[in-house]
Amino acid sequence: MNIIVCVKQVPAKDAPLAIAGNWIKESDIGFEMNEPDSYALEEGLRLKEKHGGEVIALSLGPERVKQTIKEALAKGADRGIHICDDNFAQLDPLGSAKVLAAAIAREKCDLVLTGLQSDDHGFGQTGVLLAGLLNLTHATIIMQIDVLDGKMKLKRELEAGWFQWVECPLPAVLSIQSGINKVRYATLKGIMAAKKKEIATITKDSLSVTIEPTQKIERIYVPTKTKKTEFLTGTPKEVAAKLVEKLRFEARVI
Amino acid sequence: MTIEREQLEADVLIVGAGPAGLSCALHLANLIKKHNSSGGKPELSAENIYVLEKGRELGAHQLSGAIMNPKALAELVPGFEKNAPLDTPVTDSAALIFTQKSSYRVPITPPPFNNAGNYVISLSKLVKWLGGIVESAGVNIFKEFGGADLIYEGDGVAGVITEDKGLDKNGKPKANFTPGYELHAKVTVLAEGPRGSLTKQLVAKKKLDNINPQIYGLGIKELWEVQPGKIKPGYVAHTLGWPLSTKTYGGGWIYGLSNNRVSIGLVIALEYQDPLFDPHAAFQTWKTHPFLRNILDGGRLVRYGAKTLPYGGWYAMPRSYVDGGLIVGDSGSFLDSQRLKGVHLAMKSGMLAAETIFEALKSGDPSAKTLQLYKDKIDHSYIKRELWKVRNFHQSFRNGLLDGFVLSAFQEVTGGHGLTDPMRTHPGYEAYGQIHGRPAPERFKGDGKLTFDRLTDVYHSGTRHEEDQPCHLKVSDLNICSTRCVEDYGNPCQYFCPAAVYEMVKESAGQKLKINFANCVHCKTCDIADPYQIIDWTVPEGGGGPNYEGM
Amino acid sequence: MKILVVTEQRQGKWNNTSFETLVAAQRIAEAASGTVSAVVIGKGVSSLAEELAAKNLVEVLLVDNDLLENYTPDGYAVALKQVIEAAKPDLVLFPHTYQVRDFAPKLAAMLGKGMVGDCIGFRNEGGKLVFIRQMFQGKTAADVTFTGAAPWFASFQSGAFRADLLAPRASGRAPVNPAKVELSANDIRTKPLELFKEAKSAVDLTQAPLIVAVGRGIKAPENIAQAEALAKVIGGELAASRPICDEGWLPMERQIGSSGQTVAPKLYLALGISGAIQHVVGMKGSRTVVAVNKDQNAPIFEIADYGVVADIFEIMPALTEELQKVR
Repeated sequence: MNIIVCVKQVPAKDAPLAIAGNWIKESDIGFEMNEPDSYALEEGLRLKEKHGGEVIALSLGPERVKQTIKEALAKGADRGIHICDDNFAQLDPLGSAKVLAAAIAREKCDLVLTGLQSDDHGFGQTGVLLAGLLNLTHATIIMQIDVLDGKMKLKRELEAGWFQWVECPLPAVLSIQSGINKVRYATLKGIMAAKKKEIATITKDSLSVTIEPTQKIERIYVPTKTKKTEFLTGTPKEVAAKLVEKLRFEARVI
Repeated sequence: MTIEREQLEADVLIVGAGPAGLSCALHLANLIKKHNSSGGKPELSAENIYVLEKGRELGAHQLSGAIMNPKALAELVPGFEKNAPLDTPVTDSAALIFTQKSSYRVPITPPPFNNAGNYVISLSKLVKWLGGIVESAGVNIFKEFGGADLIYEGDGVAGVITEDKGLDKNGKPKANFTPGYELHAKVTVLAEGPRGSLTKQLVAKKKLDNINPQIYGLGIKELWEVQPGKIKPGYVAHTLGWPLSTKTYGGGWIYGLSNNRVSIGLVIALEYQDPLFDPHAAFQTWKTHPFLRNILDGGRLVRYGAKTLPYGGWYAMPRSYVDGGLIVGDSGSFLDSQRLKGVHLAMKSGMLAAETIFEALKSGDPSAKTLQLYKDKIDHSYIKRELWKVRNFHQSFRNGLLDGFVLSAFQEVTGGHGLTDPMRTHPGYEAYGQIHGRPAPERFKGDGKLTFDRLTDVYHSGTRHEEDQPCHLKVSDLNICSTRCVEDYGNPCQYFCPAAVYEMVKESAGQKLKINFANCVHCKTCDIADPYQIIDWTVPEGGGGPNYEGM
Repeated sequence: MKILVVTEQRQGKWNNTSFETLVAAQRIAEAASGTVSAVVIGKGVSSLAEELAAKNLVEVLLVDNDLLENYTPDGYAVALKQVIEAAKPDLVLFPHTYQVRDFAPKLAAMLGKGMVGDCIGFRNEGGKLVFIRQMFQGKTAADVTFTGAAPWFASFQSGAFRADLLAPRASGRAPVNPAKVELSANDIRTKPLELFKEAKSAVDLTQAPLIVAVGRGIKAPENIAQAEALAKVIGGELAASRPICDEGWLPMERQIGSSGQTVAPKLYLALGISGAIQHVVGMKGSRTVVAVNKDQNAPIFEIADYGVVADIFEIMPALTEELQKVR
């Protein structure tokens, strides 16, 4: 199976965020692979181990994202594709999906895997949009993939503890649920081998994609607390009664 | 559980990608390149140099104030001024004496505190940049891999075993269990920083100790963003006095960086008498001094970190070579405690190690006989020239600041000899006095704006570890904590750890030690300062630890 | 402004967040002088459409088709594209459910539009609608506006609006109009199979609307039962701060904080939790926070809407009893 895994490089989870307009200051912080994408990568590697083929790590962004592609190669991806774009943080979901789709369309692949959403923008739309743009079937929040005779049986997660099996043809795009597998560690040999694996660099412009923005992030900000704490006093019984009343009629949460 | 380990061979294995380890790697790679291109035999390869780094990223575990003397970098990377991420040259060097209410600037800054010609840097950024050059030179740097054990052979070492990954908190393999590798190398270089865990093992096993035990200081740092105009870039101040008593060796630093940022911190020698003393609380208190309050007012805390540094100097330097092994950088005590400079000495020691290894690789003999050249090189380099002059400096202060000033003044005019040479010292943890029933102090809470409690600070260190793994802090006898230490010393681990790792929790039958290992910032204070020496800091699963990137 | 709300049902039962989205639509309509319609999609769901007719809407569209009995992304996208092309709304709103995440972005793209998903609110800034969503895992909020012409697509996060505030129609009923769609079996490429419930080994606190969390103040594992009873009577999930999970008193999946889950439920009841920053970052997006702690200076009170400075062992049983009364 030829599998393309879309991996996004995002600011490190614990990095101190310094807001600058509608994005953050990128200096002085570390970056890492988007955690949900690491599950998608792991799933891709397992499918390759089971069914043969190759895994391609695809990423969009400035030069620094090559580091994330290298991490994917170190874990076992066969080659990487880096779509170079310094301004990619400004792309809306449809825009970045169009660019990724253009690169994917150049490859012969059976399966495109993405994580559910990114830890920075958190749009959660890339997989679904890729399917639409590439005219492929898709399914999201996938917990399990069984491949048989050119078809897949997928386990989808629903709300409130429900699941569903879905039959899906290949080729397809799948968004993988986080936590579905235990992500492997890169091995020393893997890290060394990664140095020799190919990362093709293409510029966004060379893909000839026309992008019209559909939405704009005007600004980002730390939400300020507008609430003032109301302290409830009295005997435990009195407090309980007051609290229940507040929760029922004032806050209306129960 | 007997584990099958994959074996790998390298020419050179360097444990630690800090300034010392990376300088060693780069200098060696450069020597190899010149050697090969001039037809030298046998042909060598920089790809056979492996560097292990336990952090998630290069620079993630690098912490220092920092002021760097550029002389070593100039040797290693000529033309560094063009590309190296040096924040700002030092523009003003001040020595300040703090009393509770005021501060006095010493009119003529004493020479050790004069930093003209040096740079204020982020050590983390420098290391990351240097690491990029090292990788371009073909060296293999393995991030998220630590050295867990040494492979001993003959009178020395033959390599390192990396840590097992994917064990659960009970030590049982998880689905992604990956055993550590047996990495064999002709020469192993220990560049683990202060109180390196493998270095500690090696020194003990091969009796490499010098006449003095190593003494350490604990440095606690915060990086702040302040209001414009509060501090000038390149302003470098070192403070003495309040809130530390004259009996406690330590002082503060205030370094002005570009972009309205300031690096501040307090360093305290881990040889204080009061086991209930809390270095983190002292640091927070220091910040309330009017001089600092003025700078920090209206600003915000950006990052936090803590790390120890080796104060012991020349007489605490372990023997730095064994069959197949060398010790560089802070692990080898290459720090000038008077001038508080270690970066250039670490780098130089790495470079001298590289030259030594180069000879060993050419001749094919990595035994101590060849590696002894390292010691000779050190003795003939500026490392010795600088450290020899201050060889008794730190020891002079063991009876307090006033004694120290007098004694070190004598040393200044006698090339370091002073009144006694060598001045002997005792391990820091032997300085504790018993508490004799003194109640536990109230824990410092902080106001949340200028001062912070430990947990809030730890959050700003970005430290994280895989939660489901065995605790990497090994306490050999927990009973001692609940029975003897509780009586004698009041469990100082709760106070000296700057990351809120250790706490004593009340149980039905007394108190029990609780270890929140996930908070660990890898400073090694516990390993150093525990009065019974029962804490062994071992390397956790690679990638875990603080995130000092950009700091 | 014409607003169309795409409601969600499964096997004839509402996904209740649909009502929250209807409320959102009504609010936007008030702010931007608009009207609200709804579409019900499925098979044999006319009774659900009738239910909506009693609310303050101008129209309920009913898409009833055999091929839409079970949800498929293709079926819903193809059908709703036609509905939207015919109805020509300015704004199409969805509840941000797992199902919506599965097809709605693609639906928008099929119409050449983008979707602003998982919004937690909106503002009317001088006639322009600004949608608010979270970024960086809740560490920041973002103001997002649409570029270009209508229709615009957006989804609202569960809990962002209160379903019980859905205004009924003052009089009469809204017309329920069937919306014809052309749909063939060939359009639908995936085949949905059986639905099943699993005793989930992992609990997903991010989906829980009500959470009762315990911290150090619970003192011992035996005491957790009291918090559990309280969670049960309130219909919420049990969660904990890290020290509790570290001890093994509750499994790690129930941990809230920087090294655990990040949640934003309707109600977060923090019992004996001090409010260290490591914990707070995991729950400060909660709509209503109630904190009970003996220490009046506990930082948790800084982010609480309601605070009780008292012993949790006295408050827990009293609260459980009071809640039983109003069940």
